[in-house]
Amino acid sequence: MDPAMLVERAAAGTPAPIWFVQLFKVLGFTLHAVPMNLWYAGLPVALWLHLRGGEHGRRFGGRLLRQMPVIVAVGVNLGIVPLLFMQLAYYKVFYPATILMAWSWLAIIALLIPAYYGVYAYAWGCKNDEKEMPFWRVAAGWCAAVFFLAIGFLFVNGFSLMDHVDRWPELWRDHSMAGAALGTALNLGDATLWPRWLLMLGLALQTTAAWLLFDAEWLTGNSVGEDYRRWAWGFAKKLYTVGLLWFAAAGSWYVFGSWSAELRDSMFSWPLMGWPLVALTVLPALSPGLPWLLILFGGRTRAIAALVALGQFGVLGVNAVSRQVVQNLNLKPYWDVYSQPVDVQWGPLAMFLVVLVIGLGVVGWMIAQIRKCDFAPPSNVP
Amino acid sequence: MHYPWWYVPQLTAPMLIAVIAVVHVLVSHYAVGGGLFLAVEVGHAYRTRDREYLAYLRGHAAFFVLLTVVFGAITGVGIWWIIGLSSPLATEVLIRTFVFGWATEWVSFFVELLAAFIFLYYWGRLPEKKHLAIGWIYAVAAWISLVLITGITAFMLNPGRWAIDPAARNFWTALFNPQFVPQTVVRTGGALLLSSLYVYLHASIFARDGRIRNVIASRSARPALLGAILITAGGLAWYAFLPDSAKATLASSAVMNVFAGVLIASTLVVFAMLYLGPYRNPGWLSPGFAGLLFLFGIAAFGAGEFVREAIRKPFVIYNVVLSNQVLPEQVPQLRAGGYLNDGVWTRAFVAEHYSDVMADGRIDNKRLLDLPYKDRLVLGKVLFLHHCNDCHAAKRGYSAVGLLLQGRPREQTRETIERLDDNYSMPPWCGTSEEAELLTDYLMTINQPRPAGIHPLMKSGGESVDEYGEME
Repeated sequence: MDPAMLVERAAAGTPAPIWFVQLFKVLGFTLHAVPMNLWYAGLPVALWLHLRGGEHGRRFGGRLLRQMPVIVAVGVNLGIVPLLFMQLAYYKVFYPATILMAWSWLAIIALLIPAYYGVYAYAWGCKNDEKEMPFWRVAAGWCAAVFFLAIGFLFVNGFSLMDHVDRWPELWRDHSMAGAALGTALNLGDATLWPRWLLMLGLALQTTAAWLLFDAEWLTGNSVGEDYRRWAWGFAKKLYTVGLLWFAAAGSWYVFGSWSAELRDSMFSWPLMGWPLVALTVLPALSPGLPWLLILFGGRTRAIAALVALGQFGVLGVNAVSRQVVQNLNLKPYWDVYSQPVDVQWGPLAMFLVVLVIGLGVVGWMIAQIRKCDFAPPSNVP
Repeated sequence: MHYPWWYVPQLTAPMLIAVIAVVHVLVSHYAVGGGLFLAVEVGHAYRTRDREYLAYLRGHAAFFVLLTVVFGAITGVGIWWIIGLSSPLATEVLIRTFVFGWATEWVSFFVELLAAFIFLYYWGRLPEKKHLAIGWIYAVAAWISLVLITGITAFMLNPGRWAIDPAARNFWTALFNPQFVPQTVVRTGGALLLSSLYVYLHASIFARDGRIRNVIASRSARPALLGAILITAGGLAWYAFLPDSAKATLASSAVMNVFAGVLIASTLVVFAMLYLGPYRNPGWLSPGFAGLLFLFGIAAFGAGEFVREAIRKPFVIYNVVLSNQVLPEQVPQLRAGGYLNDGVWTRAFVAEHYSDVMADGRIDNKRLLDLPYKDRLVLGKVLFLHHCNDCHAAKRGYSAVGLLLQGRPREQTRETIERLDDNYSMPPWCGTSEEAELLTDYLMTINQPRPAGIHPLMKSGGESVDEYGEME
């Protein structure tokens, strides 16, 4: 079966310029990726450190775990932005892909609720800094970590299936009844699935290391001493290095072991349609080098910690842009996102931007108020 | 017709929307009303220097965050998930129409979320005025979320001019639809009322001090009664601005009668209990009383949401998207060219399995009836799943067709299909006459026999019937 048969080409048109949709999709994903990375890799790292780390490891683990409820809430919230704009411009491929794996896709919600409560259960256990954490809290914390890893795996399944329309006929054939999808498919046969999942884990380890430094230098105030900061830099160096190596291995597998020849030709071309796509292949691969070098040689200062955090945000951003280009190239034979008619809703668009500016102003004001307090959440509330 | 259909045995996929949505609204209304409760009551406690009340409110705020930020927020995302899976065409239309409404709502949600955490985590560390201001920021942001989302759900029930005048198809006419104000009033009232019920339940269990319980009972009775007034006024306006078909469904469907009855009766019981209990006799606030009040409130909300969803039939979005994922303007084309032909996935299915009926990449409807009986049954099942399974299970389960057609003979079944929308709560038949034959073939295999034991003379015309329920 020609997979192109399964994508309806006629488009109804979008109420926003495609560049605007892409911008918010990529920006939203980058913002979402920061907290998502922290629960993806940061949560198991923090749990391990809190249970088996030394004095400073235990301290950092406890801090990150107490911050985790807010991190999860903000991460879920920021995930709405790319999801919304994706459904606006990629609906022709997003809905069929998720319907084919509907039960697994829905399982994300079913896993997210207990994972989030598991995070709370552990965070509450940290409140008295008890020496012995009750078993059920430990179990809840580790279940949450496993659930988040599983959620990541299901997400990668959904988005790799969305990108690879050529996988649809086989999965539909194997998981349908009289043409209706049973929703039981998983995109396990896709060569890009595993490296994509592992690639994100490498980035997540790096982000956790960057967060450790940012937290130690900017958020702990006077609550920790010089020893802790020294430990933080040392541990961040090791963690970032592991993340970097992991990212390099998974990234090489992804690019050289799973991309189609056409995609590789396009992504290594210079230039294609005026776009230096090779830059969007090489830059994401090299970008983690900058924060890593800063950690190694930048000196142990607050400014360098901030630069590392900023640099890691840039790493995530560059990767998000590259992923977006790869997605568009993969989909082009079936669904050219730029071919849609556009009929911009200028008034509502302006309303959104105005409210966004006001909202950011309000958020800025609230943060300004709490900056006068110790940033760390008090220990006697969830 | 552009998307694959998700088959959920027994229940049907769209019923999963109802399950998640009802659970979500029970928390999301508390997320709005509870924010207002906390802002008002914390302000009162600060003014009166009531330390015990402040201590209780702090505990309540932790419970509030734990319930609304986790369960409420994630089930809200769950609604996004399930509508895209179960009703993709309607979701596509809604997102295209309201993308900036949703984006604006996201900003409110973001502000709301941060305000909730800051309000709780910095309790006692921020100056009172600042703390209170953040409480109010939460309350206002949450209410703005309610208004925007209500605009979208109200649009689904009655899009007004948007649906009938192509020139009026813009965001503003969609948002300010005839149901917008009534539903906003009802939901604002519902948020006030439901949050009081949560507060009573929580206080009856966790507020050990009798004085504090009495303060809570009497102070929260006023917003609850205001909520009751808003629900009543908004509910009457909601009814007045219902499409005629929705009013007719409400009046004629036995299930709707029962649910509307449950809604009205539970609401009246809640009003009465509020007046007689917390308002007149604050001392009555025991866990048993509060629990009962809460259960009646949930019954009213659950029934209300079910009625709101069900009276839209045969539409998902009134006059815009039919319940079987078809746009009304597509119907003539489908009846002429074929339902299987026009569906991207149904056509692909036929092309792969029955290439003999294909001609120039399209299905030749005339050849469908030449297929062997077993193949006709398969295609009949394809038609059933894509055309009917949105609302009906097959042999058993939710509104199963096999039971609805129980004992009905073939010709009558065939005629019912072709004249489906004689019943105004059903969509029109969207296929050719050949496809109606195929669907009839399939339906006759799941059609349950007429129940035994009914007096033979009860059959129309007094004709005798054989053991299978067929007339002799």
